[in-house]
Amino acid sequence: MGYVLQYGQIWPYLPRLLDGAWLALQIAVLAFCGGLLIGTLGAAIKSFGPRWLSMIVGAYVTFFTNTPQLVQIFFLYFALPDAGILLSSFNAVLLGMTLNAGAYLTEIQRAGFESSRRSELEASEVLGFSRLQQIRYVILPHVAQVLFPPLSNHFIIMTLGTSMAAVFGVEELTGQALNINSMTFRSIEVFTVTAGIYVVLTLIASVLLAAFGRFAFRARTKLI
Amino acid sequence: MLKKLALFGAIALTAFATTLAPASARTLDEVISSGTIRVGVNPTLPPLGKFDEKNQIVGFDVDFATEIAKMLGVKLEVVQVGSPDRIPFVVSGKIDFVMGAMTRNPERAKVIDFTVPAHTEVLGILTTEGQEYKEWKEMDKPEVTFVQVRGSTPVKFIEENLKNAKVTLLDNYPDAVRALAQGRGTAMIDVMDFMGEHMEKHRNTKWKIVETPVDVYYCGLGVAKNSTGLKDWLNVAVFEMHRRGKTAEMWKKWFGMDMIEPVQVSPYF
Repeated sequence: MGYVLQYGQIWPYLPRLLDGAWLALQIAVLAFCGGLLIGTLGAAIKSFGPRWLSMIVGAYVTFFTNTPQLVQIFFLYFALPDAGILLSSFNAVLLGMTLNAGAYLTEIQRAGFESSRRSELEASEVLGFSRLQQIRYVILPHVAQVLFPPLSNHFIIMTLGTSMAAVFGVEELTGQALNINSMTFRSIEVFTVTAGIYVVLTLIASVLLAAFGRFAFRARTKLI
Repeated sequence: MLKKLALFGAIALTAFATTLAPASARTLDEVISSGTIRVGVNPTLPPLGKFDEKNQIVGFDVDFATEIAKMLGVKLEVVQVGSPDRIPFVVSGKIDFVMGAMTRNPERAKVIDFTVPAHTEVLGILTTEGQEYKEWKEMDKPEVTFVQVRGSTPVKFIEENLKNAKVTLLDNYPDAVRALAQGRGTAMIDVMDFMGEHMEKHRNTKWKIVETPVDVYYCGLGVAKNSTGLKDWLNVAVFEMHRRGKTAEMWKKWFGMDMIEPVQVSPYF
């Protein structure tokens, strides 16, 4: 059959794809950091906080882990303006992804918190550690090691998830790919190159994360 | 997978080749004696053509064609066409004429003939009250943000002619118009005639269509090259549609507003 792959038509657009990839990475990192903050707080509350507060966090987690992320961002982008809150494309996507990540990371970290050994906690209590000190000196170092692999996995998932930002007018990698596709009509070539860039992006991220994990927490992460 | 694709492609190509094969459009006499005129309508272009609740194709094009069939004294057969196959359908005589925003242009006119214009399409600027722009050339400024549909033709126009303006690309027309209504952008450049339905959905927004159009397209009925008799008759029919006010009436019914740039009717054609 006569389809000839013509990557030559795509190369001039490569800088635009790389710009898009850079933007995707920025969104992923920012949303992940924000989500980690929310998640740590949420997990701490769920494990040690008062019951009523823990229930609120529980409701938040249930809501955000049981609705599609795309729908959540749609709500932030198109429904909030009717209530007088106008978020820019970038902010709406970032906020949506952060809240979503926060919910998942709460659950992931709670599981990690609960994995710390009862005897260690009791020992620290006997030694007169306050709750905060327990978290800081006993739970966190232990938990970081257990949690590192699932957390870095979630980061990879989020990096790929940034592709939905295109729906809201953020010109990240997928958005740029769609634009180039509509100009060149070289769909196979455009999306092959785009997929390649995503692979490179996540590969670099996992290598960096694994290196960091080994250095900081002595966590053993499998590469690839 | 590749093999399947190749096979599928081969079948598609063969099918396509067959539609193009021995081309013979029907003459006016043949249409009349058969008692049926076959008209191509594209159901993906509401309100020109769309499917109703009963899965029937309805719209401005169907009403227009119905009236023409009545004038000719034959029955109407609506044939569903899509953008890529509508011209091959006319050329091969599968249909007698095609509608569906057939903008006449020199490239198309090499392959098929066009009747006098049935309606226009105005590529214009949709904005909101309070925006003081009088024409598109004033909008080449960094403080202007166009909200456009990703992959639509006007995006290219903006990239080439309004380099300084910003563009926010959304997925589809409802999203883009909603974003504009919510104040996410200054304006939108697109075919304004299709906007009536969308504007209607945001009644609280004070819409404004900039009066100097970016461009006007004339859409006629597409007929095969070798069916002159039919084309001549259709020209008279289309003229009558305009003269009797039928076109304007149907346009208002389906588009919810008057044709932005009415066809200037001339008795000479």
